[in-house]
Amino acid sequence: MSAAKAKMREKKMRNQPVSVQHPSSSHGESRAENGGGQSDARPSSQRQRAATNRSGWIRGHQRDGGGYAREMPKYITGGSFARARAAEVNAMLKAVTKTAASSHLFQGLPKHMRRRAMSHNTKRLPRRLRDLANRMREKSLQAGPKKKKEPAKNKSRKARRRHGNLLLEFNRRQRKNIWLETHIWHAKRFHMVKKWGYCLGDRPTYKCYRPCYRAMSSHCLLQDLSYYCCIELKGQEDKLLAALSQLTSKEAGPTFAAAMCLSGARRGSVTVYKAGQYPTQPLGPVTYLWRPPTAGLTHRQLWIWAHPTLKQDLLPELQSVCQCSEAVVPPVQPEVSCAEADPGIQAEPKPDSKLKPGAKRKKSCKDAAEPPAKKILGDGTRLPGTPVTWKSSSTGIVINDLTMEIVRYRLIGPQSHSVLTDTLEAATVCDAGRTELESSSPWWPQHCKDQSNMTLHQQQTDVFNILKGVCSTGEVPPGTVLGLTVDDPRLNLPKTKVKAVPRVSQLQEADEEKRRELMLRGVPQPCCQSSLWEQSVRDSVTDNKMSEQELNRMKSEMLVPGSRLSPTPPQGRVPILLVHQPGKQVGNELSCWGAGWELLLPKGWGMAFWIPLVYREVRVAGLHMSLKHSQNKAVPHFPHDYPDCPAGARFQEEQEAEFLDKFRRRPPAKRTNYIKHGCLAPFRCPWQQLAEEWELLMTEGGAEGKGEGQTQSSTKTHVEMEEATPQQHRAEANPPIRFNVLRNRKSLRLLSGWCRPTTSKGQRQWRGAPPPPLSRAAVTSFHSAHRMSLVWVRLTLLSKGKPETHAMVCVPTAEDLKLFGKKQASSGPQERPHKDHFKCRMKRKKKGLKEAAPSLLSSDDGEGKAPDAPAASDSIASKDPQSASDLILGLWPDPLPSVTSHCTRVTLGWVTQGDFSLSVGCGEALGFVSVTGLLDTLVNQPVEHRGTLLLRNPTSLHYRFVKLNIDV
Amino acid sequence: MVRVKSRYLLCEINVSDRSNLLKLDDRAVAGAVRAAVARIHGDYGAALCSVRFCVKYLNAHTGTVFLRFPKGCYKLLWSALPFITSIESRGQIIPCFFNCLHVGGTMRTCQKFLIRYNTQQLHQMLPKCKNEEEKRQIREAILSCTLTGRNDETFEDELMSEEDGE
Repeated sequence: MSAAKAKMREKKMRNQPVSVQHPSSSHGESRAENGGGQSDARPSSQRQRAATNRSGWIRGHQRDGGGYAREMPKYITGGSFARARAAEVNAMLKAVTKTAASSHLFQGLPKHMRRRAMSHNTKRLPRRLRDLANRMREKSLQAGPKKKKEPAKNKSRKARRRHGNLLLEFNRRQRKNIWLETHIWHAKRFHMVKKWGYCLGDRPTYKCYRPCYRAMSSHCLLQDLSYYCCIELKGQEDKLLAALSQLTSKEAGPTFAAAMCLSGARRGSVTVYKAGQYPTQPLGPVTYLWRPPTAGLTHRQLWIWAHPTLKQDLLPELQSVCQCSEAVVPPVQPEVSCAEADPGIQAEPKPDSKLKPGAKRKKSCKDAAEPPAKKILGDGTRLPGTPVTWKSSSTGIVINDLTMEIVRYRLIGPQSHSVLTDTLEAATVCDAGRTELESSSPWWPQHCKDQSNMTLHQQQTDVFNILKGVCSTGEVPPGTVLGLTVDDPRLNLPKTKVKAVPRVSQLQEADEEKRRELMLRGVPQPCCQSSLWEQSVRDSVTDNKMSEQELNRMKSEMLVPGSRLSPTPPQGRVPILLVHQPGKQVGNELSCWGAGWELLLPKGWGMAFWIPLVYREVRVAGLHMSLKHSQNKAVPHFPHDYPDCPAGARFQEEQEAEFLDKFRRRPPAKRTNYIKHGCLAPFRCPWQQLAEEWELLMTEGGAEGKGEGQTQSSTKTHVEMEEATPQQHRAEANPPIRFNVLRNRKSLRLLSGWCRPTTSKGQRQWRGAPPPPLSRAAVTSFHSAHRMSLVWVRLTLLSKGKPETHAMVCVPTAEDLKLFGKKQASSGPQERPHKDHFKCRMKRKKKGLKEAAPSLLSSDDGEGKAPDAPAASDSIASKDPQSASDLILGLWPDPLPSVTSHCTRVTLGWVTQGDFSLSVGCGEALGFVSVTGLLDTLVNQPVEHRGTLLLRNPTSLHYRFVKLNIDV
Repeated sequence: MVRVKSRYLLCEINVSDRSNLLKLDDRAVAGAVRAAVARIHGDYGAALCSVRFCVKYLNAHTGTVFLRFPKGCYKLLWSALPFITSIESRGQIIPCFFNCLHVGGTMRTCQKFLIRYNTQQLHQMLPKCKNEEEKRQIREAILSCTLTGRNDETFEDELMSEEDGE
């Protein structure tokens, strides 16, 4: 019995009578321990009462012969008899009257006097017990500090929803993760995720997978991409180009210096590497935009758009390349992060109120008693003192971090231009008279004064109007840039949602000519200029934005309700940039799929443009759909498909943790046993190990393979591989070379040509010399040029099946290909189930038979090939203790065996994205394969089956035939 | 309420020589009861007696004892009590017999009965006193137990009501 229980029992039994026995004279044991009762209680009532305090009962053996005779009496007297009875009566009375102390007061009450909820409300008790009950209640309340702290009393909903309080609350919530300007809109409709320091919408709460695809392929899909970070570089053109050329290489495609892009007429994209490290250590893809050169100036401006995870790697690299180490602490405008988006066009805010970091004051609010909240625009997480500008004294380059300074919307789909032309209207020109009056704040009237600006604006307007006549967005040259100044789009907001449709037929002959010009040459170069590039204009536009409230008030004051507000208020002009975004550029089929426009706006205007766009019946999608978009375009999506970049590696780790967590949440009996499926790494792809193993295989196999020539089968490689355990690899490949993804365009083109059967009609025409035919020599030279590299491939399933993430790409054996040749629709070979040696080991571990483990270990290494590799088994055994601790049923513990030769078909690579492709109509997978392995496979395959591989999902044993494509 | 139910027998141990009474102890009483049950009812009885049987209270001066029996078989066990003729305690054989005064469902009712019974006895003793000294002592005893138990009557009431309930 525990101490507490004993105590409880003692308390309960306190009042109960104890047996009264004479202590034994012969044996000393009898009940002497009940000595508490050996009091010297007298028969007199007073003494007895005193004794009752100590114990419930006066024992029979009082020393002085009190109630009971101490010694055995010789004879019996009436008095002692009576005393004994009286003492017993007393004891019994006490037992009967006093209730046990542990029970509540009301439990002593007779049943008919009990009332409901007596413990809760003492007034239900009889009055004589109330005091006691109150005392007990207080005691119990004091004894409960362990109880949960009472939640702080919330304000009423009405108070919370009051505008100022709501803003304060929103600002508090924005301190950790940046909110986009459309956050509230998204949060009401989307599943939000916190990623990369932002709150982003992942997917809508309603079902819209297919509608979104349909919108992408036939109408328009809208996304808020404001979370992409913009880095601005300013400086001399030659110096900028010299600095940036270290980051890129011409082999991987056009660089920052591409002629079309340099003029500012096109937007370019490039993969950035660490300075001077070209084939190795890539950072990630960026898009960039040059500001069109102004006449006679060599000073240029460049915007580089990067993903937020890439920015933390890219920015230091840019700083080192441009030697921009001096951080310019923003003294003049401390609120680079939080600009004033105040309604109205009142006077400039007071400087002291501007300096306040937290709650800022409304300009109209004069009293300091209650600082009203201020809407945060831009990056709310950044401290006000954080430098955003870096300057170089030697090169004169200035780097400016424009994160969250520019709103970026993406419209995907063939009708996105009609949505744009519907929503936006080129700005109306201000008359001079008004400009004189309000020369202070709005930028537009001043801008209008200059005649050259006006002609440019007219040109831009013309081009924009021509856009209306274009049938599909894909017709426009990819990457076209169009600068424009538009009216506030809230002014012509339709009453109900209307679908934007192209207006092709309305055009006249003259426009037809212009349209052709546009489609062939793109936007004429001067039209790419926009005032959005000017920091001062951006700030002015942001500051002078008319609030929704004011706009509505002006609308309500109109004579004809519902008519368009005219003239447009002077602060209602916004400079924007329209950037065409290329569709599918690689591959032969479905070219230009997913083309669209990007809309760049000054910050603060996000919602003003968002709602009008949404009112044109566009679909809105989140991160999930942008992944699907790039999947359909067969381009790698950042950071998912950049395993060699630091951001991609980080993403892989996160993804593995997420998958593992999901896997672990299932009960063990319901989990997939990946060991039995022969899947070594279902949650991550060990690219490094794959590349190393293939490298080793080639160096060994190449030496032997020369004699055997073309007949070397993959089963032969299989045997070889098993002997080479990963531990040996590691020892040999020292120092380890990092794997890298092949981005050399020439090599890619060559490889792409080799992959497809020679009879394919879709073969590209080669400019200049035809490619060298696939031969051992060509392969060897190719291989020596690209060691340890992976290549991005697209796999199309030839039969049914839906590829999944981390599916394995395998090499078919000669028999498989024969079978495939006979019957095209054959479903493919099967992998036989593997044996899970770890399962029984885990059981044994549980039983505690630890000495049995090492012997078992050596036996399951390399599937019963223990005698071949004693060293390897030893090394595994030595690592055993820590691996056994985190052994998860159904997953291989960490030192993976050879990944290539684990199954009956040799593994070439893995799939990073796979799904049923709605655009093609069959399963399509995107992933990486080892270049070395691919070359080896291609050489060994017969010509008619070249590029046919096998694909197997991690959760299945069925191999499916796939067609390999390398799109360049 | 849901509980294991028992029967409590309030018995009086009558001995020929009252001084022998003081030599009793609860284990001896329990052993005597077990032996008697085993003798009368055999192994079956002994087995019944081994579960939940115990001597809850023994007053060696007055010879009162509370025996607890399982409710299901208390009659059977009770039937063996008259066959106890002696108790062996502390190496002595004390000739005695059991007189059952009350059977109750709880200890409490037995205690209440005992209170009533003892007071009755004391009251009966008072007129039969032989000398003044004795009379005085008995009166003192009566007073002592009545003074502490001022609210005797309420208990009588409760006792009645509870007995009715059973």
